[in-house]
Amino acid sequence: MTQSARLVAQGITVSFGQRPVLKDLDVALPTGQLTAIIGPNASGKSTLLRALARLQPVASGQVVLDGKAIHRQGSRAVARKLAILPQSPTAPEGLSVRDLVIRGRTPHQSVLRQWSGADAHAVEQALAATGLAALADRPLDALSGGQRQRAWIAMALAQDTDILLLDEPTTYLDLPHQIELLSLVRALNRDTGRTVATVLHDINLAARFADTILAVRDGAVCLQGPPEQVITEASIQQVFSLPCRVIKDPVHGTPHVIPL
Amino acid sequence: MILRLATLSVPVSGRALRSACALGLCAAAVALLALWVGHYPLALAQLFPAIAGDLGDVAQMVVRDHRLPRILCALGVGAGFGMAGAIFQTLLRNPLASPDVIGFNGGASCGALLAIILTGGHVVAGALLGGLASAALVIGLAWRDGLQPYRLILVGIGASLTLSALGDLLMSRMDVLTAADMAKWLIGTLASRDWQDVALIWGGLAVLGPVVLWASFPLARLSMSDDVTTGLGLALTPLRLGLSAIGVGLVALAVSVAGPLPFVAFVSGPIARCITGGGRPAIGAAALVGALVVTLADLAARMVPLVHLPAGVFTALIGAPVLMWLLVVQFRKGRF
Repeated sequence: MTQSARLVAQGITVSFGQRPVLKDLDVALPTGQLTAIIGPNASGKSTLLRALARLQPVASGQVVLDGKAIHRQGSRAVARKLAILPQSPTAPEGLSVRDLVIRGRTPHQSVLRQWSGADAHAVEQALAATGLAALADRPLDALSGGQRQRAWIAMALAQDTDILLLDEPTTYLDLPHQIELLSLVRALNRDTGRTVATVLHDINLAARFADTILAVRDGAVCLQGPPEQVITEASIQQVFSLPCRVIKDPVHGTPHVIPL
Repeated sequence: MILRLATLSVPVSGRALRSACALGLCAAAVALLALWVGHYPLALAQLFPAIAGDLGDVAQMVVRDHRLPRILCALGVGAGFGMAGAIFQTLLRNPLASPDVIGFNGGASCGALLAIILTGGHVVAGALLGGLASAALVIGLAWRDGLQPYRLILVGIGASLTLSALGDLLMSRMDVLTAADMAKWLIGTLASRDWQDVALIWGGLAVLGPVVLWASFPLARLSMSDDVTTGLGLALTPLRLGLSAIGVGLVALAVSVAGPLPFVAFVSGPIARCITGGGRPAIGAAALVGALVVTLADLAARMVPLVHLPAGVFTALIGAPVLMWLLVVQFRKGRF
């Protein structure tokens, strides 16, 4: 069902000081799918995402993008294939939404050619896709939390990459905004065939929106597969040490976890 | 708005362009005013013949040999400090940063004092060596897997305080007359600058200016958090080192002509950003603000009767209230 994976981690190990965070971890992101990375706090899920995006150096093993080790490719070349929205990103005060989105075009620009028709097109498309066209000239700091997060996603979209990685994009958002944001991510994946991986805290939202669940515990991948197969009472107990009942969501038909 | 020139295409904001034009006009007006007024009275009608003409009279000597080089130096020195300040503030993501933060000015002062004590001269060479050595030391001490802004600021503040105490100590070892002379140089002065100084500062700016233009593209992007910048494909550490070197080069140039004029590098960036808006680094506008502040400060220093005050006394006196006024206007608009 899937083409061969373009982004693969091969036996990667990451340590913070003495503490190993990822231990000899292997994973492949299914191409064209929306993957949700779940796991308890300090399980290494954000570190895994950052390592996949070459933001986190690995002590051993390697991340491979399109058949070539990611750290052997130019950072700019990688940025044309892979966009990452990190946790709590910051921009200078007063920067407008449009200027933020324009910065997403950086890997396609150069000092001499700082603007092109393709840039203009990608920026307008990213603003339209995130529903921010009307707010484009507002300063980023004048937006609500949900709008601001959409603006950052618009920046990553303007980067125009086949692979999009999101590190806890729903943190600090209320439930309606979480749903809105994940619906947007889902639509981006469906409409453009982008490969998307996102770290999520909420298992039920992950089950509802993702094609593939990737569960991480103690620096290792312990489950990977479609939500219907992977999310069971036994697996949630195994990953989160949480006794629960799993029922079928009466509306969406996806697995729904009820903690006991 | 897109600026196009052959293969070049650069987006420019209308507001930034308008404010740069306004600042440029202000700087030109102040420069002309400074040429006109002074201890030697000059009728306005005499001014242009004195600059361009071939009269060979006293008016021409005053304007061409004394005022004009001094004012051109002030403009260039201000532009250098202004750009360096804007670069460091953007690079360190801190509006309060300035070259002082990485210990350049403190090092320059100590270097100048040491040169006087050890060799009896070579003030400028000593200042440059001291400034570059302390900047290199601060960057070296703050280095760990790259250059982190907050580490650089903390190490730099420590170094600056140490160097300023060392400067006081060196000063106390001198005889009173040399110390008084040095005090003036250490505050920063543009008195009796000649065409050689003009050639030095403007020649240096002609070399560094294009480099700054080149660097402003990555610099604007470095103002976002590290992960975002890396994700966009920029190499943080080489860019930070390169931009620090450019900033230090600009300060070294300005200090070698006018001494460590205080506050100009600090104040120009925030004033420029208030005027141009939009969260961009505004290096060009900061250069113009710096030029304006130093020219005004030097004019004020020349206008005080009887005593010869160094321009450095007035840079903060002029720059600080302007900055405060701009910030208060912004508070009132609810921007903060």
